[in-house]
Amino acid sequence: MKNLLLSSFIVLFLYGCSLGHYEKLKSTLKPESVALHSLFGENFNSFLFKTNIRVYGKDFSGLLVTKQMQPNDYRVIFTTELGMKLFDFEFKDTSFTLHYCVPQFNRPALLKTIQKDIEILLMNETKNKTAEVFINPKDSAFVYKFKDSKLDNYYFLDKLSRQIYRIEHAKKNTKKITFDLNNYSDQFPSNIMIKHHDIKLKIELNLLKK
Amino acid sequence: MNKFLFVIIFFLLSISISAQVPAGYKPVKDTAAFKQQMQAQSKLVNTIESDFTQEKYLSVMSEKIITKGHFLFKKVNMLRWEYTDPLKYLIAINKDKMFIKDNGKVSKYDINSNKMFKSINEMMVNTVQGNLLNNKDYKAKYYENEKFYLLELSPLQKGAKDFLKVIQLYIDKKDYAVVKVKMIEPSDDYTMIDFSNRKTNQPIGDEKFIVK
Repeated sequence: MKNLLLSSFIVLFLYGCSLGHYEKLKSTLKPESVALHSLFGENFNSFLFKTNIRVYGKDFSGLLVTKQMQPNDYRVIFTTELGMKLFDFEFKDTSFTLHYCVPQFNRPALLKTIQKDIEILLMNETKNKTAEVFINPKDSAFVYKFKDSKLDNYYFLDKLSRQIYRIEHAKKNTKKITFDLNNYSDQFPSNIMIKHHDIKLKIELNLLKK
Repeated sequence: MNKFLFVIIFFLLSISISAQVPAGYKPVKDTAAFKQQMQAQSKLVNTIESDFTQEKYLSVMSEKIITKGHFLFKKVNMLRWEYTDPLKYLIAINKDKMFIKDNGKVSKYDINSNKMFKSINEMMVNTVQGNLLNNKDYKAKYYENEKFYLLELSPLQKGAKDFLKVIQLYIDKKDYAVVKVKMIEPSDDYTMIDFSNRKTNQPIGDEKFIVK
């Protein structure tokens, strides 16, 4: 009896380990019944954030402004508090244009990383793709999975409000980037925390105005 | 015919020349006298206290980014530049130290350790005092109308030229105070700072320039 209990614990433990974070999600049968709305909406709005970027112990702070120019075309500009422009990005459909960048920021790896973060947040790529929809066993809420090259983006929805409270960019079962979307007010999170798990990079966005 | 062409060319040239003078302004004739006056007035000012409104214009955005705050200046080389709306952010310069308070966290820097901080410091302190006109890093042009002098400063150094096309300083003729600063980028996006409720030579304690 004692051995049986012990072995069932071991089996359970091993089973628990073998199932990765994302494999625990359960597929739903009717993914088309619920649409995933983009965070930044479709009203050509602009959003202003107080932004802090911490990369390998170095801090950058400033104001980040996003503006939808056309459907699927967003401009994202980062300036210092004193007004100096640091970078100017454009995301149009699936293409990216670097309009401007100060020399201090002009490091391909850093730019590419920040570009990816903003791209996931803008959700442009989700518009032309079909999602796999899952149920999160933790809270029985929806999770939307989109293919992103060889990686996946998971958008976790709150069960009651259906608002996105977390985004995870992952390779198989390894989280690469997590986005926590907090303090929703008027359909938009007033705080967004972006954390990279394989490099020392954190970005915090606090909404000032929309 | 040639005469006609000459007139047209002359006309076009005079337009392009006059286009360089900002609308409503004319060049200052006696720049030496103006510089002398500016320096004399600046010597009389030991402290400045003022509110400011900063306007960031980005051509692609339909709205300007407006931020507001308060600033203090005390001779020599002490400056407190504080945003209060819609964000809280503070930069204080105390001789060779610079403090930044952001999200409740204070960072302290040695100005001489960082070239960028050094140039931020020089630019802010000199702008507030209107001292940029003697700076060899800028080429100055002087204009005036009834109420204001307008100083246009173009950076000469390559590094500064990358992000700054020209700084315009609007100086009140009655007290030689800098009332407005406009920093124009090569792309013609700009940052404009308007000063209001300016008070000079009121006592300001040194502790205002130390951030904890």
